[in-house]
Amino acid sequence: MFTTYNELKQWREETLESVAGDHFQLNAFHDQLIYQTVALAKDKVESEQGSPPAPFAFFLMGSAGRYEQSVWSDQDHGILFEGDNQEYFLRLGSEISDGLAVVGYEYCEGDVMASNPLWCQSYHSFEKQTLDWLNEASWQTMRHFSILFDSRVLVGEAEYLLALKQRIFKALQEEPRLMSRFIDNVNYIKKGIGVFGQLLPEQQGEKRGTIQLKQTAYFPYVNALRILALFQGVSSPSTISRFEQLAGTYPSIAEYEKDFRELLDFRLRFRKEASSYEMVHLLPLECLSKHDKQQLKRLIKRGQSLFSAAKSIVKEERMV
Amino acid sequence: MEATFLMNNLWIVVCTILVLLMQGGFILLEAGSTRMKNAGHIAGKTVFTVGIVSVVFWAVGYGLIYGEGNAIIGMSNFFYGDATTMGEGLAGSVDFLFQLAFAAIAMTIAFGGFAERAKLVAYVIFAILFSVLIYPVIAHWIWGGGWLAEHGKQDFAGSTVVHLTGAMAALAATIILKPRIGKYNKDGSSNEIAGHNQVFTALGVLILWVGWFGFNAGSTFGVADAFFGFVALNTQLAAGAGAIGAMLMVWAVTGKADVPTTLNGALAGLVAITASCAFVEPWAAVVIGLVGGAFVFFSMRFFDKRRIDDPIFALSVHGTVGVWGTLSNGLFATPELATVGRPGLFYGGGFEQLGVQILGVVSCGVYAFIVSFIILKVMDKTMGGIRVTEEEEIMGLDISEHGGYGYPENLTPPQSKSGA
Repeated sequence: MFTTYNELKQWREETLESVAGDHFQLNAFHDQLIYQTVALAKDKVESEQGSPPAPFAFFLMGSAGRYEQSVWSDQDHGILFEGDNQEYFLRLGSEISDGLAVVGYEYCEGDVMASNPLWCQSYHSFEKQTLDWLNEASWQTMRHFSILFDSRVLVGEAEYLLALKQRIFKALQEEPRLMSRFIDNVNYIKKGIGVFGQLLPEQQGEKRGTIQLKQTAYFPYVNALRILALFQGVSSPSTISRFEQLAGTYPSIAEYEKDFRELLDFRLRFRKEASSYEMVHLLPLECLSKHDKQQLKRLIKRGQSLFSAAKSIVKEERMV
Repeated sequence: MEATFLMNNLWIVVCTILVLLMQGGFILLEAGSTRMKNAGHIAGKTVFTVGIVSVVFWAVGYGLIYGEGNAIIGMSNFFYGDATTMGEGLAGSVDFLFQLAFAAIAMTIAFGGFAERAKLVAYVIFAILFSVLIYPVIAHWIWGGGWLAEHGKQDFAGSTVVHLTGAMAALAATIILKPRIGKYNKDGSSNEIAGHNQVFTALGVLILWVGWFGFNAGSTFGVADAFFGFVALNTQLAAGAGAIGAMLMVWAVTGKADVPTTLNGALAGLVAITASCAFVEPWAAVVIGLVGGAFVFFSMRFFDKRRIDDPIFALSVHGTVGVWGTLSNGLFATPELATVGRPGLFYGGGFEQLGVQILGVVSCGVYAFIVSFIILKVMDKTMGGIRVTEEEEIMGLDISEHGGYGYPENLTPPQSKSGA
């Protein structure tokens, strides 16, 4: 098996291209890579400080949590543990994030990493922090909460996150006003299409002529399904599984699943060649054929209409 | 003395003050559209160069425009001082001051092309040469009895004489000075160097807008029939339509209701109606303003793509739209209002007036550009460059050219001690 992070990096470089054409294969490979990196980090910390002093869970958030990574991705992860052992697990968190950086996952700019005490806590203090976030319901705490909610355990005790999410659903039932805060928090959608139906690329600087795929096309789908998942108590993090679980309740929403799958394929089709995390969300318009542009416009419009539909559902059902 | 004579003179003095106030508009517009480290310089040089223009205009400018001479240039009335003269039904001194204020506007427009990178000494020398060799020549051609005056060119308040002339000098300057550091990337794409205060820019535009009533309505040179009210009405409508046209256009094309573009749209409406404000009907003023506002957006993008760095958009606002405004007479001038020249294309005048307008724009534009280019090129060679060094540009012209900052609290040099 692997003994250094550099070997993992090499494995990544050798393998990535062969899986980059398929969304599910690609994400399964990312999981493998991260899992192996965590295993190496765990061995290293064990050799320095002994075995973990308590059961714990290493969990992924953001695009990795949603099982929706593209070719390049940054790190978003945390650790939950039993008891009072933060020092040990912070060390483990730092080792993991340094390891992931070597393997090819950029450090998270917002510091959403298990090396940060905010994201590396005992289950009980983390649960309290999560409820405090909801209670404060500020722009920043809502952002933290949204990141946290798209999460799954990769290594360790899966029930920690399940319990936390059940606690969250209970809190939401007690405080229905929070639903409108979630909507407000993600309500701004970067405009992708102009009044003449044209795509709206960046106008200035080195990004000129590119479309920010993440903000204009991808976020509306993800945010819409997160809102509905919170509303209906669906705990799975991936947008596709949220679609599947909500299909029975909202047949009108289910129609958008094929659009989202198409968007994931579209993204991979053009970003397979991306050479860095910086570039992965920027789509130069000049690479697109006329047909591609039509497709992208349709996907952007469908995303916007899905987001509106999700908002209406929450508004109407809360009135009842 | 006759009451109408007194009222005419009073009206034109009021308008002179309004046109001079437009310099205040330019100070805020230019300072707001550029960076903090150059704000004091931009504001101060405007006042200083108005000083230079005033003295040069007194010494030779007025005489070159209105003196006895030939079709190309006037050659008398230098060092103006004869207060008994009468011109255009006004006391000579009143007429002189009004004309001086216009010359100063053309100068300030030209200096828009210098922004954020020209040496102070370049401003001084060019202010003198522009006020002797460029502005008076064109003003003489159109207003001083020169070869274009007899031609029937319709330029009521100076779209060509003031705005196009200034913009052509600005174009020559931007080409010779080259883009500011950091404006363009290696791949040719451009970066936005945002101005430091949009509120200043907006207030500057509003002051210009108010001052423009002096510029346009004052160009009636009197109060007879209260025609100045009609001119002011057209001016107001075009300015409003310009702001609307620009914001709608930038929003439609880029998806953003960009503030600087909108502000330039209001100015574009004003520039566009300057030539035609006395010759067209109010509905046409709205159309001329709307089109001017839309043009200014495309013009800004055009120059940006050509790697011509125009920090305060003087080329687009005063140049491109100045041309449109002058040509619009050839389309919209009505038979009743066309006291000079012929009606426009849409009023059965055919292409004749349009042709006259084109001839005027091309000859004046070419003259102003070529002479400015030669003057600046010679200055560039003989003065060791008219642009500050890279270091000076980075530290800012406030400190490099004047030794103190416009915003001292925000831009204190790091080595200086502050407080206890």
